Amino acid sequence: MNNSAAGTSSGSGDVSAPRRNSNRPKYSRFTQQELPACKPILTPRWVISVFTLIGVIFIPIGIAALRASTNVVEIVKRYDADCIPGNNTKAYKVAYIQDKNIDKTCNITLRVPKDMDPPIYVYYQLDNFYQNHRRYVKSRNDAQLKDRGKANDTSGCDPEDASNGSPIVPCGLIAWSLFNDTYNFSIGNQNLTVNKRGISWKSDRDHKFGNDVFPRNFQNGTLIGGASLDENTPLSQQEDLIVWMRTAALPTFRKSYGKIEQNLRENDTITVTIKNNYNTYSFSGKKKLVLSTSSWLGGKNDFIGITYLTIGGLCFFLAIAFTGVYLVKPRKLGDPSYLSWNRNPSGR
Amino acid sequence: MDGKGWERVRMARLGGSSASRGREAAQLRQVSSQTVRLGRVQPQAPSHRTIYCNDREANLLARFKVNSVSTTKYNILTFLPKGLFEQFRRVANLYFLMISILSTTPISPVSPVTNVVPLSLVLLVSLIKEAFEDWKRFQNDIAINSTPVDVLQGENWETVSWRKLQVGDIIRVKQDEFFPADLLFLASTNPDGVCYIETANLDGETNLKIRKALERTWDYVFPEKASEFKGEIQCEQPNNSLYTFTGNLIVENQTLPLSPNQILLRGCSLRNTVHIVGAVIFTGHETKVMMNSMSVPSKRSTLERKLDKLILTLFGGLFFMCLIGAIGSGVFINRKYYYLGLFEDVEQQFNPSNRFVVSILTMFTLITLYSTIIPISLYVSIEMIKFIQCAQFINKDLRMYHAETNTPALARTSNLNEELGQVEYIFSDKTGTLTRNLMEFFKCSIGGVSYGVGITEIERGQAQREGRALNEIQKSDTVVYEKGFNFDDDRIMRGAWRNERDPEIFKEFFRCLALCHTVLPEGDESPEKIVYQAASPDEAALVTAAKHFGFFFYRRTPTTVQLRESHVEKMGNIQDVSYEILNVLEFNSTRKRQSVVCRYPNGRLVLYCKGADNVIYERLAGTNQDIKRLTREHLEQFGSSGLRTLCLAYRDLTIDTYENWNEKFVQAKSSLRDREKKLDEVAEMIEKDLILIGSTAIEDKLQEGVPDCIDTLSRAGIKIWVLTGDKMETAINIAYACNLINNDMKQLIITSETDAIREAEEKGDPVEISRVIRDSVSHDLKRCLEEAQQDLHIFGQKLALVIDGKCLMYALDPSFRVDLLKLSLNCSSVVCCRVSPLQKAQVTSLVKKGARRITLSIGDGANDVSMIQAAHVGVGISGLEGMQAVMASDFAIAQFRFLKDLLLVHGRWSYIRLCKVITYFFYKNLTFTLTQFWFTFHTGFSGQRFYDDWFQSLYNVIFTALPVIILGLFDKDVSASLAKKYPQLYKEGIRNTYFKWAVVGVWAFFAFYQSLIFYYFTTTASENGHNSSGKIFGLWDVSTMAFTCVVITVNLRLLMACNSITRWHHLSISGSILAWFVFIFIYSGVMTPNDRQENVYFTIYVLMSTFYFYLTLLLVPIVALFGDFLYLGLQRWFFPYNYQIVQEIHRDEVDSISRTEFLEIGNHLTPDEARSYAIAQLPREKSKHTGFAFDSPGYESFFASQAGVYVPQKAWDVARRASVRSSKRTSQR
Repeated sequence: MNNSAAGTSSGSGDVSAPRRNSNRPKYSRFTQQELPACKPILTPRWVISVFTLIGVIFIPIGIAALRASTNVVEIVKRYDADCIPGNNTKAYKVAYIQDKNIDKTCNITLRVPKDMDPPIYVYYQLDNFYQNHRRYVKSRNDAQLKDRGKANDTSGCDPEDASNGSPIVPCGLIAWSLFNDTYNFSIGNQNLTVNKRGISWKSDRDHKFGNDVFPRNFQNGTLIGGASLDENTPLSQQEDLIVWMRTAALPTFRKSYGKIEQNLRENDTITVTIKNNYNTYSFSGKKKLVLSTSSWLGGKNDFIGITYLTIGGLCFFLAIAFTGVYLVKPRKLGDPSYLSWNRNPSGR
Repeated sequence: MDGKGWERVRMARLGGSSASRGREAAQLRQVSSQTVRLGRVQPQAPSHRTIYCNDREANLLARFKVNSVSTTKYNILTFLPKGLFEQFRRVANLYFLMISILSTTPISPVSPVTNVVPLSLVLLVSLIKEAFEDWKRFQNDIAINSTPVDVLQGENWETVSWRKLQVGDIIRVKQDEFFPADLLFLASTNPDGVCYIETANLDGETNLKIRKALERTWDYVFPEKASEFKGEIQCEQPNNSLYTFTGNLIVENQTLPLSPNQILLRGCSLRNTVHIVGAVIFTGHETKVMMNSMSVPSKRSTLERKLDKLILTLFGGLFFMCLIGAIGSGVFINRKYYYLGLFEDVEQQFNPSNRFVVSILTMFTLITLYSTIIPISLYVSIEMIKFIQCAQFINKDLRMYHAETNTPALARTSNLNEELGQVEYIFSDKTGTLTRNLMEFFKCSIGGVSYGVGITEIERGQAQREGRALNEIQKSDTVVYEKGFNFDDDRIMRGAWRNERDPEIFKEFFRCLALCHTVLPEGDESPEKIVYQAASPDEAALVTAAKHFGFFFYRRTPTTVQLRESHVEKMGNIQDVSYEILNVLEFNSTRKRQSVVCRYPNGRLVLYCKGADNVIYERLAGTNQDIKRLTREHLEQFGSSGLRTLCLAYRDLTIDTYENWNEKFVQAKSSLRDREKKLDEVAEMIEKDLILIGSTAIEDKLQEGVPDCIDTLSRAGIKIWVLTGDKMETAINIAYACNLINNDMKQLIITSETDAIREAEEKGDPVEISRVIRDSVSHDLKRCLEEAQQDLHIFGQKLALVIDGKCLMYALDPSFRVDLLKLSLNCSSVVCCRVSPLQKAQVTSLVKKGARRITLSIGDGANDVSMIQAAHVGVGISGLEGMQAVMASDFAIAQFRFLKDLLLVHGRWSYIRLCKVITYFFYKNLTFTLTQFWFTFHTGFSGQRFYDDWFQSLYNVIFTALPVIILGLFDKDVSASLAKKYPQLYKEGIRNTYFKWAVVGVWAFFAFYQSLIFYYFTTTASENGHNSSGKIFGLWDVSTMAFTCVVITVNLRLLMACNSITRWHHLSISGSILAWFVFIFIYSGVMTPNDRQENVYFTIYVLMSTFYFYLTLLLVPIVALFGDFLYLGLQRWFFPYNYQIVQEIHRDEVDSISRTEFLEIGNHLTPDEARSYAIAQLPREKSKHTGFAFDSPGYESFFASQAGVYVPQKAWDVARRASVRSSKRTSQR
């Protein structure tokens, strides 16, 4: 617009002279919006082939995943109810578990359904335990766990930040509520060794928990939340704690307890001696003991396999169904009679 | 913006930025919806200012403003506070500010980083943009303020920069320079103390204006003399009225009145004058130009208002989610969860003994947690998209570049792009918009005989419609064609007129054409090379016609008009005759006529008058009824052919009559109050007893491609209304010619030209007239409505409504308004004729508000400004005409036919893109937030965050930001040529197909579905050990997994929404996904002292060491997109959109690349194009047609003045000069 005036401002007589300062925009594919582009059209053929493709990819994966999962031998035993004598009220159970004077050892037996090859992982599974509660998750101090010099740094650990006037290491509710049931396994008279090393992620051991940080003033308060820690072992070697401190995503979770590096034969009977210390009774949480082998995929989890199979199957089904529809009543691509103004002659 | 000096300035000040628009625009923007004020004079300040010329010390006391101007919005100090304030006026930003503040409190589950980072990024982008724009303005200011100018210091000219100028300084301005301030014109190097100025920067008029200094000051041209000048100026206080000025110059105790004629305004430039000397009156921000610039309220698009509703809905959703969470938290919290440490002294937000407080606090917690549901970067993204759309696509579209006027399209606001895709009503001005305003002398009627053999387009069209064959008369070989002259008749060309029955009347006719005008000849004084500077193309056409008839007007002096007359007495005889022009009675909108009094060399005194037919007929002497009757017939014929007519008349004056009258005239001229009014009254006294000579007929040519464009637009479902000041017949004919009305349509006509009304008008009782018209309008409306209902619904016939201004005035009355609206909405096209600018605006807002449809107004002149501003989208025609319409408009295009591109291509694309962008934003944030929401149920409603703070804060601004912008820029469902080939596709925009609640609902549904997949699949799949080492994932592993899936899916979903995928899409989408991985590799790989980050330490590496990661990564996005894919497939298969069908029809065609097409322009011109191109190459007068009777029939300006609109008066200095001289002479006698 500034041109029109500019071009003629020098007097109206010389407008017809060739213009040097043209305002004509330069051609570029960008400004003319003509960038090369592929224009995918979701034709029925495409829909059918995509579904078929997904089916073709997913079903084998599903089968493989499901096989891996079914090959895993898993023994799950709930013991929280069994380990309290009698069939009692909740109040009684809570009182029982909180009574320090009772010996809470209890024995359960497990039958091995299939041969299990080592390593056999031992897990405990808790239920209705909100490790992901906001108050709980943040009740820790990573700096303190990692750095010896930051022992006094208990910020965020309230209410388990200090007891008897001095800071707790490791502080916070998570550490305080450390799981403290213990299991001893035996077949017949032969004890099964449980290897408690290497159950936590290496990155946690190496970087998040210091090898020169030792527990201090831990579980010294009036209320004992759970396990106590060996004051002479650095945190980086307290693998139970490390596992526990990697808070779970959901209120039902498993945590590694250890590994049994020994073959278990089908129909072996394992006796487990449990020190049933941990209080899940007050919030009606279940406790389960899990022995599991693992596959390339991990522990027993049919979900992935089943989902892959389902989706793959569904896609196959849809592909077939659509092919049927396509054959019976094909839609001509680009049929102008589909255009709304052709369908509706009044044109709206 | 790449012009030099003032061009740049003008862009910045008048056009480019919203901060300070041009005076014209600004002035016109004062228009409220009620009244149209085109530059009304502001009430003057009671006091006046006194300026001592050439005396800096004396002026110091008055503390006048300095001459430096600043158009910047900010300075270094105010930038941050003011800029931030501006940003926080946006609700979304304010909301995020509050959330950020909230997130610093302990109740927040997230660290402040989550909200502060995106907010600051958004603010940063906006502020950088602001700063950049302001910096450009600042640069402009500096450039202007340091322009050099010569100031009188002692007895020498000294060059200083503009900013140093002070009130009272005497300065010198050289040719082609701009005036640095408002000046009092003292002296010029030209004889007679005149100078020529160009006011293009003020009003876009490029024809030169003349200014004339007071005779008393003519001598002060040279510094020695000028230094002696010690005048005192008493004048009005600074005001914004460009066309008025009152003041006195006191020199040596002599008081001389000053008029606008002596004022040179800042912003104008000096032409055809070596230099002038002036005294500075107003400086800097007190100059009239600057007083006129003010910020302009910006229009918001309908889509954005709808977006507000969506955002409100999101707020509703947010509140609902928070409420559920809050109630849940109150119920959940319990001391039995001893591991949560809920002992006696627990803080309030977890205190089980006060569940209500827990709920309330959790509510706030959750608000901060779910804040991502409001898309913070949406507005900024939209702004960027629209800005690029405007600057790169619309402004640079070669299809909208008009080579003849060298004008590309211009988007003046960037927030209405998508509105262009939803326009349902177009209100178009006729003259200059549909028609070219290229006036060609086409026919004439002289002494009761009609001459001219041409056939107009309209006649041709009419004949075609009626199936008549027109016998085209072969034009003689020697036919002359010149711009403005398209006439051929052997009876009068080349002197043949002398053989007609009454040659004398021909002479009067031609002399009237050659003498009675205000045209200035320029250039070489030969018939071929001369260029006429005229106020309206009509005038130039008339003078050109006179030239071809042998009365060549070649020179104008202050007192004379000189003609070179040929073939007058005998063939081949050429003689130069000088006619003394004694008085010029100027044209104005009420008079609708123009007269000159001239003295022949032989002493004959004649008044020549030309004007609108009704005005002239009123003033005719009672003789020669035959000519009157015949001419009347011809006038009607001409009118129906779409020609514009003027009547010519003359009157012989005796010396006594003249002298008597002239005295009164001089008195009136020198009166200080109501001068214009008095002049009109005096003129009335002499413009009577006229003798009719004949009439002229000028063809108003249609713009190129108008009928085709209108046809396309109406197929696109757009209804086009023509609002014009023309006569009904002309308007209907133009409508026919433009394809607006055709014979298949039923015409409903509501007119005031009925017998009943005429009868009442003759009686002249205004009350009675108004009653009669009112009744008739009411009756007509009812009748038409009934007919309309019947025809439309029973016969399915299309309707066209024609209504004239007078009836419209009554029909717009609140009591009839509903009927009018109902009626007009049923019509496919509507023609309103003889309407005032005010009515144009009223009609526009009637539809805009009454029907709630999107309206677009397009026009080219000052009379369209109100309409342009009233509509949702205002489009100005740029290039040929004045700037006023462009200044008020939102988009400027050079030709009406470019509307097709602007609406069907750019508008449609913008609309579809914006809809996609908005719905996609909505989807991606909802999906993200809902996963978080599902997690809340599994955390005991504690408000624990699922994602890491940085994930959440970068989600919107990094991981998903760019692709959606690319989508907003490049998505193209069908190519530009297809969009124009299938205009019906545009209807989807009118019906708002892509941004309905149903569409939003579908997106919301899939967001819901996907979020469930993300959350439950990733958590469920992660439940047991996930590695042959049997180790277990924690919360942060799962959340990183989920976030990865979200980022990938959301980006892929965008790809599915694209209709065309360029490499930019690939780049941005893969770039975004890559950005996430790069980020997480670094972020989780490095330990920082930052406390909480250790949550995600090493998670990605842990994840990547498991098969779970890869299996989930394949599974979750595919399952999540499965639903969308199925939906899209089914939708396309069974319920395809129109555009999808069109895509399919043309799926095998390669996108035509227009480069070649554009390069070929100019090589292959059709004969018509070649001709129009040739015309365009001819010297052209640029002018405004408004306010001039010759712009037939002057109704627009007439109504404007009726409505209290001030129409700028031309400074017809020629006339003034003439009268000054003559008055002097009279006084001497």
